Amino acid sequence: MLESATHVGLQATDGPLTIDQFGAESARIGRSIADEYHRYHIETEEVDDADPLPHRFLVKVGKVGLAKLIGKEALKYFGQFDVILARPCTYGVFSGPVGGFVPRPKLCVGCLRCEVQHPEFVKVLPNPDLLTLGDSYTTPGHITAIDEEAKKGMVPVRGQGYRGRFGGPGFDGMLTDMSEIVRPSRDGIHGRELIGTAVDIGSKPMHLSFDSNGKLSGSIPEMFTIQVPFIFDLPPGDLGTPQLASVVDSTSRRIDTLACLDAHTVARLGLDAPNIVPVLDNTEASRVSEFPNARLIELRSSPDRPWGWDAAGFDIATEATDAMIGIRIHFEEGWQNRMTQAVESGVKVIHLLADLHGRGSDDTFVTELFKEAHMLLIEQGRRDTVTLFGGGGIVGADHVPKAIISGLDAVTLDLPVLFALQGRSNGSLRQRKQVAGTLPRHLDQDWAEQRLTNLCGSWRDQLLEILGAMGIREVRRLRGEFGRSMIVKHLEDEAFEGIAGYVGGDC
Amino acid sequence: MAVLQDIVDAYQGKIVKPSETLIHKTTHLLQDGMNMRAFGEYEKPKALGDARWTDELILSTWYMAETGEVPDNLNFKTGKSDGGFDRLDFQFLPESDWLEHSEAIDTKLPLNRRGDEKNKIEIDIPWYGGGMSYGSVSVNVMMSRAKNARQWNSFMSTGEGGYPPELYEVKENVITQVATGYFGVEEETIQAAPIIEFKYAQGAKPGLGGHLLAAKAGEEVAKLRGSVPFVSLFSPFPFHSTYSVEDHSKHLDWIETVNPKAILSVKVSTPHDVDMVAVGSYYAGAHIIHLDGGYGGTGAAPEIAKKNIAMPIELAIPKVHKFLQKEGVRDKVTIIASGGVRTADDIAKAIALGADGCVLGTTDLVGMGCTRCSNCEGGPSGRGCPWGLTTTDIELQEWVQQDWGAKRLDNLYTAMQWRLRDILRKLGLSNVRELRGRTDLLKYIGKEAGE
Ligand code: SF4
Ligand code: SF4
Repeated sequence: MLESATHVGLQATDGPLTIDQFGAESARIGRSIADEYHRYHIETEEVDDADPLPHRFLVKVGKVGLAKLIGKEALKYFGQFDVILARPCTYGVFSGPVGGFVPRPKLCVGCLRCEVQHPEFVKVLPNPDLLTLGDSYTTPGHITAIDEEAKKGMVPVRGQGYRGRFGGPGFDGMLTDMSEIVRPSRDGIHGRELIGTAVDIGSKPMHLSFDSNGKLSGSIPEMFTIQVPFIFDLPPGDLGTPQLASVVDSTSRRIDTLACLDAHTVARLGLDAPNIVPVLDNTEASRVSEFPNARLIELRSSPDRPWGWDAAGFDIATEATDAMIGIRIHFEEGWQNRMTQAVESGVKVIHLLADLHGRGSDDTFVTELFKEAHMLLIEQGRRDTVTLFGGGGIVGADHVPKAIISGLDAVTLDLPVLFALQGRSNGSLRQRKQVAGTLPRHLDQDWAEQRLTNLCGSWRDQLLEILGAMGIREVRRLRGEFGRSMIVKHLEDEAFEGIAGYVGGDC
Repeated sequence: MAVLQDIVDAYQGKIVKPSETLIHKTTHLLQDGMNMRAFGEYEKPKALGDARWTDELILSTWYMAETGEVPDNLNFKTGKSDGGFDRLDFQFLPESDWLEHSEAIDTKLPLNRRGDEKNKIEIDIPWYGGGMSYGSVSVNVMMSRAKNARQWNSFMSTGEGGYPPELYEVKENVITQVATGYFGVEEETIQAAPIIEFKYAQGAKPGLGGHLLAAKAGEEVAKLRGSVPFVSLFSPFPFHSTYSVEDHSKHLDWIETVNPKAILSVKVSTPHDVDMVAVGSYYAGAHIIHLDGGYGGTGAAPEIAKKNIAMPIELAIPKVHKFLQKEGVRDKVTIIASGGVRTADDIAKAIALGADGCVLGTTDLVGMGCTRCSNCEGGPSGRGCPWGLTTTDIELQEWVQQDWGAKRLDNLYTAMQWRLRDILRKLGLSNVRELRGRTDLLKYIGKEAGE
């Protein structure tokens, strides 16, 4: 006899269930759960290039040298075609119709076997065009990684070890930790399907209150959930075209996240929907009512009300809509006060913005700034009442967990969108307004949506790798977990303390 | 018709076991090409090298592997990674106080310091070869390394891929690795080995386990690993039987039962609590604690893991060394460092930071021709290393012949031992063991103005 059968969703009956009835009911529930079963997953699929990046390598073959070699070998190995026709390249660079006379450099992976084997007439050179991509922060390395991720939707895997510098500035100065033996998830990458990447957007009360009848009396959580801790931000510079708006709209819907778009574009293109975050100037706050389907609307500074927080604008907006109102706050002098005032006034989403090199106006890097914002809210006893988005400088998959460890709930993506779509930039990529970029001339909607989806799939999978290594089951638990990171500078101070010439803080 | 078919096959690059003539031609072209580059007869390839392994480090390793001597015109000591080993240097004595460069400068390293009844093992140089599994590399590469280990009274680890029968010939110098997938772990392979290595994690992909792509898991690999040919193989993370130091201790007990004389090495990566892990391993019975730092080599790893998870070895060694000292057990256990140790200078620096010795992996491969192109996992061809190193492709694996490989490594180690002695004598030390933990003999080279 099972007295609490209804607690497990069994259909109410006149009396307690028999074992048989319980079995039948359980099977029915099991079937219905299976019918409805849906596990979050991002469908990736390799797509062709629209405007490929320059090849990594140039392959130069001296035709006379090659002809001489073939002639010499034809005589020396007369009749042994396997020897005469053997080519050094296993990647097909010399396997075109006329072999090495017209090499196919786009297939070259730089193993250098050909150049070592035939130094007299083969040269493999790094392609200088590749080095012109991006700028001092968003490097060719970031851009080629994004391009590969958006093309294949996979986690980049390669042989041999790390090739770069020791530590470094910005995100490179932070390492993530791992758990050697004892792991809460007990399963590493094999159980990573069970790691959650969903984040809640909005506000939770810091505690629950009940009246004398035991009913909830205080505020209740006001939240909705998205499935990945990254959202698309306003395209920087002059990239905010209707075409791009349409691509981020469909992609954000497909992967269940959000896309911030200029409110005028949203209105003009009729994009108002739960996945769209219209962004309005503070001075236009009353227009929030034009977006009845939005779950979140952001207000931003306008020339006469700079750097984000404007109490009057917020009041007008909250009066006019049921949607959550988020405030975009730039890391300009006094941002801490503006954020505090906003949260005190009931703002549930703060969107913090550094420049695209990840720096605030005082040159502090975002990992420090996000941490400061997170800690400030904790000290004020308000951290869970507000969701922190943050953007600026996020151009690599590893930046996502590092920003979340620094205190964010979710990061916002700007430049990665440009490079995922094989756009090109011109000049510095530091100031949002001054970004000069071009997208491929014919931006096919399906192609572009798949590229962005692939990027998100790849970044989510890489996030799972990091969480898996830590043994953390969901990304929400990573927020502000500074103990899950290691700062290279601190480790160096500990390791090299006392060594002659080491003064600390050298990285 | 047969001739025509041969031409078509050759033109289309059909993959078959190469003829002796083709092996002869290809290996000579490659070997001559390496020498011409290393000896400066041709300019350095423009696309060669990276911040950790610069073009000069690669070419100098080729030079040493050919000649057994250190080069005059190439930087064979440091890379350009802007930190760690590359910013550390030695504080040599004035030249008048240097010792003679002589074979009397002792480079031996005892591996069992527990004073128990197990094998008393001492190796002639303070380093041995790290695990590279059969499957990730060919038998030819394994045997080259193992034969060289025998030559140097040192070791080479099997990695997690089983124990090819050829290895029994050199079993006294082979470490059997027990890793999380237990591939190739059998009673005989445990009984054959003087040292058993438990691999908990690998520095290049800590916390992620291993993955051998289907293309590299061919018939022979599958036979040794007890798997189905051409099916991807995963080594899970972590050991699914180990969630505590007590579980870990049970693991070591198991080995002791099967091979009571074997000494035990525990290979771990470098999380923030690596010092606690090390002391736990010691109390569980480990003779060797093998720390594998984040910048180490791998047959295949997610790029995000290589750079971001866990700490570089230079930062982990002092942490563990000092902690074991504080615990009063430092002299009972051997600390071996790996993961980004490239040169004799790196080895000496690692020892000065607190390790007893090191493990080399990538250095061996570079000695046999690796250009660090990162296509070991298969690359776009799916066939693995075009130099014949990290591959079991029936054609490519022939480009590394065992005797040639062993000779290259012998030469390389000769040059490295010479350089290690050179460092020791300039520090006034006649014994490598005296260098351990002597951070007072190091200096840190800060950034120049404008750097
Ligand atoms: S460098 Fe390697 S991949 Fe490139 S053409 Fe030469 S052999 Fe082929
Ligand atoms: S593929 Fe071969 S040459 Fe390239 S990095 Fe790997 S081992 Fe070295």
